[in-house]
Amino acid sequence: MLFNSLNFAFFFPVVVAGFFLLTQRWRVHWLLVASCVFYMAFIPAYILILLVTILIDYFAGMYLERVQEKHKKLLLWVSIISTCTVLFIFKYFGFFTGSFVGVAGLFGWHLPQPAISIILPIGLSFHTFQSLSYVIEVYRGRQKAERNFVIYATYVMFFPQLVAGPIERPQNLLHQFQERHNFDYEGITNGLKRMAWGFFKKLVVADRLALYVNDVYSAPRGYNGLQLTVATVFFAYQIYCDFSGYSDIAIGAAQVMGFRLMENFKTPYYSLSVSEFWRRWHISLSTWFKDYLYVPIGGNRVSKSRHIINLLITFTVSGLWHGANWTYVIWGALNGVYLIVGFLTKGWRDRMFGAIGIGEDTLVRRAIMLSTTFLLTCIAWIVFRARNMSDAVYVFTHLATGWNFQSVATTQFLLRQFPAAIGGLLVLEIGQRLSSTLPISFMMSRMPLPARWALYAGFVMTVLMLGVYKQMQFIYFQF
Amino acid sequence: MSLQTFNSKRVIETDAGIPVPGEGNEATAAAMTFDGAQESALRTLKTLQHLASFFTLIVVLCFVMNAVVTSGLRRIKTSSFGAMNQVMEGKVNAQVVITGSSRALAHYDPRLLAAATGRTAFNLGRNGSQTDIQVAALKAYLAHNQKPEIVIHNLDAFTFVETREVYDPVAYTPYLYDRDLYDALWKINPNIWKSRDLPLYGYVVEDINFTWVPGLKGFFGWSPREDYFLGFNPRSKDWTEDFDRFKADRPNGVTFDIEPGGLEDLQELIRVCRQNGIQLILVYSPEYIEMQSLTRNRKEIFDWFHKFADQNGIPLWDYSHWKYAGSKEYFQNSQHLNATGAAVFSNDVANQLKEYLAAQSRSAEESRASVKPIEAVREKN
Repeated sequence: MLFNSLNFAFFFPVVVAGFFLLTQRWRVHWLLVASCVFYMAFIPAYILILLVTILIDYFAGMYLERVQEKHKKLLLWVSIISTCTVLFIFKYFGFFTGSFVGVAGLFGWHLPQPAISIILPIGLSFHTFQSLSYVIEVYRGRQKAERNFVIYATYVMFFPQLVAGPIERPQNLLHQFQERHNFDYEGITNGLKRMAWGFFKKLVVADRLALYVNDVYSAPRGYNGLQLTVATVFFAYQIYCDFSGYSDIAIGAAQVMGFRLMENFKTPYYSLSVSEFWRRWHISLSTWFKDYLYVPIGGNRVSKSRHIINLLITFTVSGLWHGANWTYVIWGALNGVYLIVGFLTKGWRDRMFGAIGIGEDTLVRRAIMLSTTFLLTCIAWIVFRARNMSDAVYVFTHLATGWNFQSVATTQFLLRQFPAAIGGLLVLEIGQRLSSTLPISFMMSRMPLPARWALYAGFVMTVLMLGVYKQMQFIYFQF
Repeated sequence: MSLQTFNSKRVIETDAGIPVPGEGNEATAAAMTFDGAQESALRTLKTLQHLASFFTLIVVLCFVMNAVVTSGLRRIKTSSFGAMNQVMEGKVNAQVVITGSSRALAHYDPRLLAAATGRTAFNLGRNGSQTDIQVAALKAYLAHNQKPEIVIHNLDAFTFVETREVYDPVAYTPYLYDRDLYDALWKINPNIWKSRDLPLYGYVVEDINFTWVPGLKGFFGWSPREDYFLGFNPRSKDWTEDFDRFKADRPNGVTFDIEPGGLEDLQELIRVCRQNGIQLILVYSPEYIEMQSLTRNRKEIFDWFHKFADQNGIPLWDYSHWKYAGSKEYFQNSQHLNATGAAVFSNDVANQLKEYLAAQSRSAEESRASVKPIEAVREKN
């Protein structure tokens, strides 16, 4: 089920009402049923895939606590490999889908083979990683194995973050399913406000920009340099608003029911370096790779050359996580190269800035660093968004050619849509700026009720009227 | 505070969810817990009231906005909504009506037809429409206007392809109260009820081009620049590269489906005209010559056109070999004439219509003349 669908508009109030009306004992069961319904709205049979990973890691978690120390590692690897095999089969080997259909057929589930072989189960990478983090944390002794299957399954399947994260850690989320969540006015209204902001990002900004980006990137050779440049910058904002918008809706939806999910974005385009960007972009995934891949292979506590290799491995795997396509792998590796070059040239850059009299914390230096980081990120986004490397090279080599200001619009994105798109971006930037410098929520809560409601209603109507509701999937669903 | 508090006899939770057991003076504790429960129940109720009131406000705003936009679009006097409004308000009442797709819309200038024939004319062509929608548009026209004498229906290579998705659905949203239009759209998209019954759905979900903005402006009396002339919407652009790209993409050409539903739709159009005593003329307006050879099943499509015309005694005027069919100066792309081409073609078709009407009138006079002597003989006898 998509957050930006009419179905969700009916589903969510029903789930929240049921959650608060039920007694504590049945609330987790209710959430599990709701999460199954939410997930099955895409392709019902895919719930079986999820069930497989849930079962593997549920039993692995329990046995990890029981087996002797010498067998623990083996069991951990069996669990990791089993879970990853599921991801591997469905994400990287369409061939194996036929086998799954056969197995599912034995259990009476007659699946349409072409759909299975073509469509990747939604959010598979997300819940696989969430499952893996649970097993690894139990292995490390930092998390007790969950004995209650319903609670464990709900932890992996919790519908707000089921298909596109944030990828939660058991220490943060698992215990919340055992706690009592009260019907709390502040929590509900703050959650709804967070959801409204997420919907603004997704519907007003991301999906509007997507009209332009999709036109240009589906056939880049038909567009001039200006259009390619606009499309690339638009994509940078589209993917940010699409994904962070999803995270906002997920965090807000959970908050309405009293759950706290981790933050996933911290205004990444305000970063002054690529390494800072990765500390502020998709935080739940970056920290996952840091904790479970980068640090275990040595991190930065090794020789310089090994550190470089570690960075490259981590970012290349991160690219591969995004999809079975060379564009994603190269995008990941490119980000790794950015980090390596940044790390190797830091001293030289400091000296150069010093020589021309630009101090560490001056506005000019910050502006140069911010725009350089954004530029590098945009270049990487070209590879990420292009259908193939040939398109990516074409876009990159034609960004600065044949600018024609008379020809900026595209088939779907007419000139009249620019004010809405640019206006959306301005509101986004102003909103982010204000929320980081002023206690907006507190200030609004101090406003008289009519003024406050007028403000909220105005915002909701703006999202309703200016949004694009063509049921565009969230970009990260495919990962 | 959890609602389950009400079921609890001894343990009451505070807002933070901390249990407050009855200690010491049982009566005091019971009174305290009762007060706490009452207070939290009131807060819960107040929260629910607030939420319900706010969402009611949003729903009311949606209904109001929807009504304003619909009313505004129906008040517009110019351009595409202006033309449709004239039709739905029964203000057209033309003697000659042109139906068809965007090719009809951009090819037939009713002013030239009227000048040549002395009959009022109106262009009912719909952008992105197939025969099913075109029939619905004609039915809606007939429901609100006087019956025309003649319907000129423009044919396309894709005449027998059924509509898969309604093109520009918002163009129909203000008129979904019309049963024929609604039924035709419902057959294509059963979700069309949402555009009719859910406030703003048709304007914000089904449309990405902010059609609600002209709707709002229209409510306050604004109308856009006129670009529809008695329903005719000329295309001012010169030859675009659309066809060249198409040709590069599909060097082996294209096949247009001949679907049973599409055949039935044309038959339905003929039936509607016959039922209403309207003379129907089928016209295949000019198509760029190169495209004709790229339509692989063109002969089969035309065989069907001839079959329909012959079986029903309907004239079929084929402009495939129009004198300028090979000149890009008269076209915008392979399917659409530009304004210059449309003016030339409209004159041509107007003259043919004039001759046709004159011939009809001559033959009517002749048949009357041949009847007269018989009547005279009868009277004599």
